[in-house]
Amino acid sequence: MTRSQRSVHRALWPVLAVAVALGFAMALALRPPPDTGAPQAAQELNP
Amino acid sequence: MSTAFRAVQWNRTKLIYDGILLGGVTLYIGVYLTVVYSVDPPRDLPAAIDLCIRAFGTCAFFMLTIILSIGPLARLDRRFLPLLYNRRHFGVLTFFVALMHASFMVEWYAVQNALPSLFDELTRIADYAKFIGFPFKAVGLVALIILFLMAATSHDYWLVFLTPSVWKSLHMAVYAAYGLVVMHVALGIMQNDRNPFIPALLASGFAGVTLLHLLAGWRERAGDRAGVRAGERWLTVGPPLSIPDKGARIVAAPGGERIAVFRDGAQIAALSNLCAHQNGPIGEGCIVDGCVTCPWHGYQYRLADGRAPPPFTEKLVTYRVRLALGVVEVDPRPLPPGTPAAIRI
Repeated sequence: MTRSQRSVHRALWPVLAVAVALGFAMALALRPPPDTGAPQAAQELNP
Repeated sequence: MSTAFRAVQWNRTKLIYDGILLGGVTLYIGVYLTVVYSVDPPRDLPAAIDLCIRAFGTCAFFMLTIILSIGPLARLDRRFLPLLYNRRHFGVLTFFVALMHASFMVEWYAVQNALPSLFDELTRIADYAKFIGFPFKAVGLVALIILFLMAATSHDYWLVFLTPSVWKSLHMAVYAAYGLVVMHVALGIMQNDRNPFIPALLASGFAGVTLLHLLAGWRERAGDRAGVRAGERWLTVGPPLSIPDKGARIVAAPGGERIAVFRDGAQIAALSNLCAHQNGPIGEGCIVDGCVTCPWHGYQYRLADGRAPPPFTEKLVTYRVRLALGVVEVDPRPLPPGTPAAIRI
């Protein structure tokens, strides 16, 4: 890799790590509670 | 290396590499489907297709995780270099596995005559303003498009056409694709399926890859700093014997690129540390049959002038070297590629 590519690599990974970690944590924390009584039809159109 | 166009430059090593790849993918998909079919048989066709979606989706995620680990692992430990040799085929196969995942998803809608629902899901603009409920398939689609671009431009033709620097910059988009894949799963299946393995595998995979890249980046930063002295005309490399025989010491030019100073017995020469093929770290290679050999794909250059031996035509930038008071020094101003600049001590 060239020096500029190494610089981009070093800058990109911390940003990507923080963004994805934040998104993942939010997706985990905000996911709806399991609804065992709900009819299956509601999820039928989502594989 | 090749002097003429060949679709794929097969050799025994690549065939073994690809055989292991195909065998691994087949084994994974086969075991996944067999185990799930035996534990919880699908009740209808859509459920069976859903199983295939998951099998190919998880396979693509694992493959992408491994691919993104190979680069930093090879930087941190040379024993992983053989994995890097044919990484492009690994990437192309990953695209096809991801494409199968997407194809089964489309088929899942098609067998239920519900393709308009898929279209609605992707075009419902209001959902793009949500976090939970964001069209996760669109996120996966963007990642798939990036993987397609990687696969479509993976051939050496594109490498030469785009130049190694542009090609490498373009292929760094795969990092973004990996982040998108993680969010595709987090906003998709992880919202509906309470299986704890999904977030656990997702988090551990991404954390592992991130850690490896941060470690490798940290180590590379130390290499960029070494030897940088603004205003100096000649860079000090060290006594001739401090350069390993048939190996190199790498120095960094002030504010510029790295220079690999090789020694082959009594001959010393300084070349660009960037291989003309894929900008591989040529200074981490060694001298084989009198030629500097790149550790990534085996491209070779003569030590005397940085030119690939005939009939090949690749050339490296060279640098002037001198021996001053028993110390090897290198002039960081690059000479035109292929200029003879080696000295004898």
